[in-house]
Amino acid sequence: MKKQSRLGGRLFIGLTFLFLYLPIFLLIVFSFNAGDSSAVWKGFSLDWYKALFQNRLIMESLYTTLLVSLLATAIATVAGTFAAIGLYSLSRRKRDALLVVNDIPMMNADIVTGVSLCLFFVAFFQGWGAFAQWFNGVQSAIELPTRLTLGFGTMLLAHISFNIPYVILNVAPKLRQMDKNLVDAAQDLGCTWMQAFWKVILPEIKPGIVSGALIAFTMSIDDFVISYFTAGSSTSTLAMRIYSMTKKRITPEVNAVSTLLFLSVLLLLALNSAREARQERRAARQEIREPSFFEKLSMRLSSPAWKWIRRGGLAAMACAFVAVVALLTGAAWSQPVVNVCSWGEYIDEELITQFEAETGIRVNYQTAESNEALYSLLKSGGADYDVIVPSDYMISQLLEEGMLEELDYSRIPNFEKIDPRFRNLPYDPENKYTVPYSWGTLGLIYNASMVEEEPDSWGALYDDQYAGGVLLINNSRDALAAALLHLGYSVNTTDEGEIREAFSLVADASRRGVFQGKVMDQVFQKMEGGNAAIATYYAGDYLSMLDNQADGVDLRYVIPEEGANWFVDAMCVLKDAPHYDSAMKWINFIASTDANLANMYYIGYASPNTEALERYPDYYREREEGEELDPELYEIMAAPPEVLERCEMYTVLPPATRALYNELWIQLGT
Amino acid sequence: MSKELIRLRDCVMSYGDEVVLDHINLYINDKEFLTLLGPSGCGKTTTLRIIGGFLSPTAGDILFDGVRINDVPPHRRAVNTVFQRYALFPHLNVFENVAFGLRIPKDGPDGRKVKVPEREIHNRVMEMLETVNLKGFEKRPVSALSGGQQQRVAIARALVNRPRVLLLDEPLGALDMRLRKDMQNELKRIQQEMEITFIYVTHDQEEALAMSDTVVVMDGGRIQQIGTPEDIYNEPKNAFVADFIGESNIIDGVMRADGVVEIFNRKFQCLDKGFGRDEPVDVVIRPEDVDIVDEAAGQLRGTVTSVTFKGVHYDTIVDFYGFKWLIQTTDYCPVDSRIGIKIDPDGIHVMRKSQYSGMFGDYSSYSEEYEELDVVEDESGEGEGDDPWEGGYEE
Repeated sequence: MKKQSRLGGRLFIGLTFLFLYLPIFLLIVFSFNAGDSSAVWKGFSLDWYKALFQNRLIMESLYTTLLVSLLATAIATVAGTFAAIGLYSLSRRKRDALLVVNDIPMMNADIVTGVSLCLFFVAFFQGWGAFAQWFNGVQSAIELPTRLTLGFGTMLLAHISFNIPYVILNVAPKLRQMDKNLVDAAQDLGCTWMQAFWKVILPEIKPGIVSGALIAFTMSIDDFVISYFTAGSSTSTLAMRIYSMTKKRITPEVNAVSTLLFLSVLLLLALNSAREARQERRAARQEIREPSFFEKLSMRLSSPAWKWIRRGGLAAMACAFVAVVALLTGAAWSQPVVNVCSWGEYIDEELITQFEAETGIRVNYQTAESNEALYSLLKSGGADYDVIVPSDYMISQLLEEGMLEELDYSRIPNFEKIDPRFRNLPYDPENKYTVPYSWGTLGLIYNASMVEEEPDSWGALYDDQYAGGVLLINNSRDALAAALLHLGYSVNTTDEGEIREAFSLVADASRRGVFQGKVMDQVFQKMEGGNAAIATYYAGDYLSMLDNQADGVDLRYVIPEEGANWFVDAMCVLKDAPHYDSAMKWINFIASTDANLANMYYIGYASPNTEALERYPDYYREREEGEELDPELYEIMAAPPEVLERCEMYTVLPPATRALYNELWIQLGT
Repeated sequence: MSKELIRLRDCVMSYGDEVVLDHINLYINDKEFLTLLGPSGCGKTTTLRIIGGFLSPTAGDILFDGVRINDVPPHRRAVNTVFQRYALFPHLNVFENVAFGLRIPKDGPDGRKVKVPEREIHNRVMEMLETVNLKGFEKRPVSALSGGQQQRVAIARALVNRPRVLLLDEPLGALDMRLRKDMQNELKRIQQEMEITFIYVTHDQEEALAMSDTVVVMDGGRIQQIGTPEDIYNEPKNAFVADFIGESNIIDGVMRADGVVEIFNRKFQCLDKGFGRDEPVDVVIRPEDVDIVDEAAGQLRGTVTSVTFKGVHYDTIVDFYGFKWLIQTTDYCPVDSRIGIKIDPDGIHVMRKSQYSGMFGDYSSYSEEYEELDVVEDESGEGEGDDPWEGGYEE
């Protein structure tokens, strides 16, 4: 009986730990997978780690993470230590109350901390803007910057602020243990307070400071939510980068970087607990013992004869720290920069490296999730981008609101190579603000092995025979566009009756259980894995799904008879862009034929560059070592003129219609 | 005696409404062994901390060699302290603890920082360790020492700086009885050898009487009496001092004339003079000054209520008209026996009435009083933590 229960207990513990660690174990295993699948083991390889270190976006964010963590830890450790000492000079009642106050930020939800810090910074920037304008107005000796934005500095401040409580929490017990008379004794023996701090307080509370610093560092490295809200648009930590990389599918590269992150946090924690265990052991046995080699060394070093060496060492360390920080930040500041915001997996990163090498301009490359996310980011005033790559209808909206700057086409000679089909489009009729980046169509993607007959109408989306197998695109514009097209209306209709009719088509199908769910990026995993039969998505993304489809899955793409939406993403420059000149250089570079070819190959979306469109099949053969480009696929990628005829581009909808869209979309529920 | 070194002039220390020191006036002579004696919260540690420079008085001056030093920080005062629980530096060994003060550069006469050469540090530390009998312990971590040894390190650490004044804050409080007696002798010897001023804080009256040149009895933030141990014991100024120093029976009396005091409606001869006619007074009679005689021959008659054997004598509690006296006598008187007592004129000490009158000197709850005295005092020194003295004396 007893034995049995013990066995049960062990089983329970075993299952608990399995539950805790199996996911991480899987992550680590698959980071060594030779293939690019995250479900099928194809043999051991270190390729993903190699790819990781060649991925400049990851390396850049790693550098940002390390820099912010190191700086925040150093500053928070000093501030937290002195704060803790200050707390201990207060009366017990006040101190206990303040220690409780100190606990609150640590218990507080990260999201609340993040949002409130973000609000605080933005409010401060607004106040500062007004002040700087007034100040610059009344005098001309000092020119204050009027426009401050979220960025590395604000993120650093946020990290410092959430790290300080951890330092206080670790230093406070050491101060409590310390005999209060020690400081008096040191002062009595001739020390000033500062000398007493260095000679007596510091050695006593050092273990607390070190563990506080280690925990602060771990917290900093680990943080995602608070960084996300305070880093602004032009800074990314490693965690943020991983998050943006997982938007489409979890690649083994993400596994590799997550593994490294996990291992480094594990290492830090292990280091800390090993230290604590050692101290406890030492405290437990008070007997005299032979000092260890390191203690002998440190005793020698702390003897007065070594003072100069010690001081020199400290000074050298301080200098090295300052130098490293200065180098890292200086390198970032002295160079000309261009801040670019695009979409995830939307550029061949080689191009960034190449551009930097050619021009000496550092590219700060960020990504947004969607046009709407980009829009709200711009509206919040937290962004300091130069170049953005919004879609057609969003460009109209930004232009309406006067948020874009005219381009200097004399400095973009490559604009000449843009096919006339993609110039003077409705969103920018005189073509004064934009240079097209890529274009494509929105169509039906289906799994031929799951549907009986090939669907050629949007009606397939609402067909009961595919009940439970249809993925509804989680974007009101695209979802209603399909319905409007099916009903024979324009995708840009403002007629409430037509829109409501289209909506009830979707809502009815939803009620009948036709849809498996509303998805955006999950569409990749679902379609590639054969878990859904039909979806609405973009042609370029269909091509990348095709590369990753599982065995037995046969994905096809079709532009239904009713026609479809086609879109253009174009490069624009924001009003008051801080680096206009660099932005012109970047746009011209990206508009070049070579860059367009590389991007076409990398992202699977068609280029608007005439030469690139012509040369792409040859380029593909070259890159694929002789393999020919499938002409059918190329037609899907770059729809021929007759297909494009049948397609309609979105225009910006009037506010009342937008509100109607929102209202209906919310009614649909999740 | 020799010349004056430290003077406290009208020193007041208060935290908000709480007055911890109430107009203290005190001078301390060079090479004197002065003890601040009193119960918890009497202000003795606060006084010491003002002298050490850890506290600055709310009002009043502190003079050192005639110079006002209110604003001189501790590290610039020619004073060193032995702290209550030693306050040794745990991360340093015995040698480095003692050498600590010597390693701090001091202001030289020309204003430049002067350092003690390493050789001299070594010699002075070793010499000091020899003085406190800790030779051979230099390399030990202080956590590996016994309480008495730690105490010696603390003393050596303070004295090695050759202070003019050594402040000792209950230095023997944490030691057991035997060790305490040894250390008392040792401290006295060191003080005489080094020829410096000791200011010693304790709540232990025996310790104070045994070691001091001058005893300052404090209570409630005020000085109750200053004098030599003999003065304090023999001529207590009020009921508080009489009770705090040694054992006392304190009885209400009336001064009928010079040399005549009336207790329990009975006139006694005494040596005290200068009181007003029929002035109410407190009369102190030390337990050892009472002779037990036959009931018939006694000046007062009472009933024995308890007897405790103390070795040299019996502690006998006798009830006189409802007031209980402590009498220390070598004669054994059984409980419930009727006895008489005689008191010689020099065994009677008459004091003026004070705020303490009626609070002390009744032995109805004798045993508790002993216990109260044995409680080890814990003055936090913060001032705020100083509980107002709440003794069991009133019972």
